[in-house]
Amino acid sequence: MTRHHRRALLLACSLGLAHTSLHAEPRLTVISQWSAGAEGAAMDAFGNLVKKEGVTWQHSPVSGFTTDMMNKLRADIIAGHLPAAAQLKGPDIKAWSAIAPTVNMNDVVAASDFPQNVSPDLAKLHKPQGNWIALPLHIYRVNTLYASKKALDRIGATALPRTWDEFNSMAGKMAEAGITPVAHGGIAWGDTMYFELVLAGISPNAYQRAIMQLDDQALRGPEVLAGLRQLRQLTQWMNPSNAGQHWSVFLPALMRGEYGFLMMGGWASGVLKRGKFQEGKDFLCGPTPNDSQRPAFDMNADSLVFWDTRNPDLLAGQKIAAKVVMGKEFARTFTQINGSVPVRTDVDLADAGYQDCQRDAARNLKEAIAANQVLMSLGHNMAQPSGVTGELRDVLTEFVHNKRITAEQAQQRLVKAADAVR
Amino acid sequence: MNAARRTRDVLEGLSRLFAALVLATAVCYVVGFTAWTTWISFTDSALLPDYTFVGFKHYERLLGSRVFLVAYGNLAIYGVGFIVGAAATGLLLAILIDQKIRAENALRTIYLYPMALSFVVTGTVWAWLLNPDIGIENFVRGLGWDNFRFDWLIDSDLAIYAVVIAALWQASGFAMALLLAGLRSLDADIYKAAQIDGASPARMYLRIMVPAIWPIVVSVLVILLQIAIKTYDLVRALTAGGPGIATTLPTNVVYDYMFQRGEMGAGSAAAVMLLLSLLLVMVPYALFQRLQKRRQQRHD
Repeated sequence: MTRHHRRALLLACSLGLAHTSLHAEPRLTVISQWSAGAEGAAMDAFGNLVKKEGVTWQHSPVSGFTTDMMNKLRADIIAGHLPAAAQLKGPDIKAWSAIAPTVNMNDVVAASDFPQNVSPDLAKLHKPQGNWIALPLHIYRVNTLYASKKALDRIGATALPRTWDEFNSMAGKMAEAGITPVAHGGIAWGDTMYFELVLAGISPNAYQRAIMQLDDQALRGPEVLAGLRQLRQLTQWMNPSNAGQHWSVFLPALMRGEYGFLMMGGWASGVLKRGKFQEGKDFLCGPTPNDSQRPAFDMNADSLVFWDTRNPDLLAGQKIAAKVVMGKEFARTFTQINGSVPVRTDVDLADAGYQDCQRDAARNLKEAIAANQVLMSLGHNMAQPSGVTGELRDVLTEFVHNKRITAEQAQQRLVKAADAVR
Repeated sequence: MNAARRTRDVLEGLSRLFAALVLATAVCYVVGFTAWTTWISFTDSALLPDYTFVGFKHYERLLGSRVFLVAYGNLAIYGVGFIVGAAATGLLLAILIDQKIRAENALRTIYLYPMALSFVVTGTVWAWLLNPDIGIENFVRGLGWDNFRFDWLIDSDLAIYAVVIAALWQASGFAMALLLAGLRSLDADIYKAAQIDGASPARMYLRIMVPAIWPIVVSVLVILLQIAIKTYDLVRALTAGGPGIATTLPTNVVYDYMFQRGEMGAGSAAAVMLLLSLLLVMVPYALFQRLQKRRQQRHD
């Protein structure tokens, strides 16, 4: 290389530097656990929407469990090499924002009609210190009941049970007909979720106090005991051989009518859709039984936290991405692909890209917000920090799989577990 | 002459240097990180290290928690079952193979083969075999024994024994290989002498051969002990710690606190207690050995 060349190169470099410092080149680095399938496709669609606004999209998925992605985030934080945005949820947003700097998005949010159109309970989780530092991407209804059409036909039923009494009578008939009424796997978070659905269905208010606020009196109360008794009843209708297995293993058998009911978040609709099973023909889908006579919605939502990287390009990218995420176009695109429900309650779901079950969940959400019965899921780490969830989870999963533990004993253990972490 | 000596000196210096490097790394990793983990276990660390001292808070909480007690009860059952079981099965296989049988190499390879698999594979395969709906129970019922039951895997009280079975399958061949090598290293004259004296084969093995290869037996036991204490993946793949928390081992508890609950302090405390439980076995053993050696020296 001649001296002449070198000088030219130097000049080019310095020009390039001057250029970036004058005009930020919006860029967004994102980490999430969504690498493949419908989830990966939804992220790609998100990327395309952001790219359309002139942002360079750099998504690094960390596949596997959420904890694997968190380990990557932890490493990034320790290395001082934060991504512009990371997928986190619920109380984790507060916990993680305490150990790394975040971006205040108040002005971007205030300039939109977003806050008026989302659940206040959900919004709260995204401003742990009062400022918007994160935004929810989508919502799943956890309290979703799937019933096998074939199993319903065999007992002469045409609709889903609305209360636990109706559920118990239908499940009893199924058991008599040789059908295993409940298609439950048996991994700890699933066991936790079954308790949560039962208690939320018996009394949403008791769920709010006992689980979300970890109130001692509510935990010792009659509703929790009734919930544990109903859960014990459900365990009598499960197949014990399923212990330790993932819920999705039993979907084909459910569709064949060997099992009756499955309680699982709305993502199961997406799995069934991919399996070419049809709502109405192969299965029915709706809310899990609810004795409170007012709509309740047990929520699982994923969010994006915006980290302060001190990089103008990334900051510009974050602001644009935030605007995109709050918009209706993103809401429709993202949720149609991954089978979830829009965060905004003013999105029209008449589009053919949605399933009836998603429409039902979206309606359910709107009504539950009005009834002030939006609940945060315990099993999916929305109600409590993971340390608290873990403590309650150990009690619940043992109760589900060990029938010698009585409902009374389990209640005492729940109270004790809550004491240990409160 | 002089040059040769210099080369030797240089080589010796180099070997010392390398040994020192390895030693320093080992000390840094083993001692350094053990000390750091111990320190963290006394702090309020959650997602990241936080050096606020909280004393024995995490230890008290763990000792009072049910999952911790269940995990140590399981470790006791699993540890004893696995170590004694694998050593005994290995010894039996070694003695049987030692009978100058045909196809010895093939059999030895077959028995040793499970060791080449990871515990995750073992766990997954045995999860199928032991599952009553699709595994052995279902198979035997299909043969006509309608009332046959083998549902340990889903029984909260017996599931830990199902874990022991899978672990035995994995490690017995390894114990066999070491013990067989020991038996083969013995002088063939011992066999003949014992036979002439009229010792039965069982007596010959238990009273003469096994004591003769005792150091190898001890090595096998020690290696099995450390495999037992660090077992994590087998449970994860075989039972996911269940049914419920029935097969959780201390290592699973450490992982749960560290990574799923995001409580580094409590997770470290669980890890330190695991180390202490290992020391509880190893220190008396080391003392015992020392005592024996001293006694032997006195005899000499």
